Amino acid sequence: MDYVGSRFPDFGPPGPPGRELTSAKVVVAGGFGVGKSTFIRSIVENDLLTMTALPPERAGLVTELVRIQFGRVWLDPGLALHLFVAPQWQDPRAGWNDVVRGAVGAVVLFDVMRPADSVDAMRYFEDHKIPYVLALNNVHASVRSDVKAIIRGMGIAPEVPVVNCDPRVRLSVRETLISLAEHAKLDRWRRRPGPDETTPLAPVC
Amino acid sequence: MSSAADAHRRRRRAETPAEQTFADLMNGFSLDSGRKRTRSASSVPAREATPVAEPQETPVFETVVPEPPDASIVRAYAWTGGRTRSNINLEIETLVSANDQSRQSAGILQAEHQHVVELCRSPRSVAEVAALMRLPLGVVKVLLGDMAERGLVDVHQTASAGGVTPDLGLMERVLSGLRRL
Repeated sequence: MDYVGSRFPDFGPPGPPGRELTSAKVVVAGGFGVGKSTFIRSIVENDLLTMTALPPERAGLVTELVRIQFGRVWLDPGLALHLFVAPQWQDPRAGWNDVVRGAVGAVVLFDVMRPADSVDAMRYFEDHKIPYVLALNNVHASVRSDVKAIIRGMGIAPEVPVVNCDPRVRLSVRETLISLAEHAKLDRWRRRPGPDETTPLAPVC
Repeated sequence: MSSAADAHRRRRRAETPAEQTFADLMNGFSLDSGRKRTRSASSVPAREATPVAEPQETPVFETVVPEPPDASIVRAYAWTGGRTRSNINLEIETLVSANDQSRQSAGILQAEHQHVVELCRSPRSVAEVAALMRLPLGVVKVLLGDMAERGLVDVHQTASAGGVTPDLGLMERVLSGLRRL
């Protein structure tokens, strides 16, 4: 797929030096091959980078590194949005807390042919009260409403948006992220007073 | 490779399985990780036959790849002085940038600090520094924490610092930023 960033107006790198900068992040989860990297690649400025982390729970006999792909886009001259591919679920704790802690929210890409691959991610986000949207990977328009009804029947919270998404198409990815941001904002609003909140997540090294 | 040292290390780990030592952290670090990645890419069989969205997307980046201990442990150990935690709270998305002081003292910095200063001429996140320097996240956090304490880099405020949910103002800003994209 070609690089789409340059064809659209963008704020590019931040404004003049001394300007206040901040950053936020979104997590993209789902099963193998469902299009997580493609999703991120469609919206960020450069190609994806890969970071390594060592999961603390695995620091026993065999040392293993977890690789985490991510991309970044400047949303305005002072705000960088990072999009992280969630590490795979066979190793749910690996690097996971560092990626998820403090995220605006998550996109769970959902392959209708392999629904089980995304269920762990959904359960995790619900347990940790992290707002997420369920993005159906390219379901044909003719069956979309049926599929949504089936997924609703799986028992996910009624306020979780279920959207259709083509991870290869920038506009579709953008729409999905917008529905996530709207949902996250609403969710934040609902849970305004709560100081108890979620269990703190330990960082990895 | 020194198998005796390896055996010793394993024995020590077996005694204290719960505690993560810095040596554990460093065992995962090697300078030629790029080469290893390509090798494992060819040896790891495709996990599935029908990737839907992107056939060229190989799952190898998301899998856990075992990496043997390496001589470069010693070097990275020296960089961080053996510490695995930084005093400064750095999230993976926290932005850092080089400041005037680091530019002025460019000639006298340690090589790895110099490298960070060059990378951070434009603001970079902790994750980006880790990826571009090909160092584990934990090492980079300590390195950047040190540099921040010495005033060599500016650490920008992160909306979610300390694991709190981003506030409504930031949510709104993300939303309007996405709409403008």
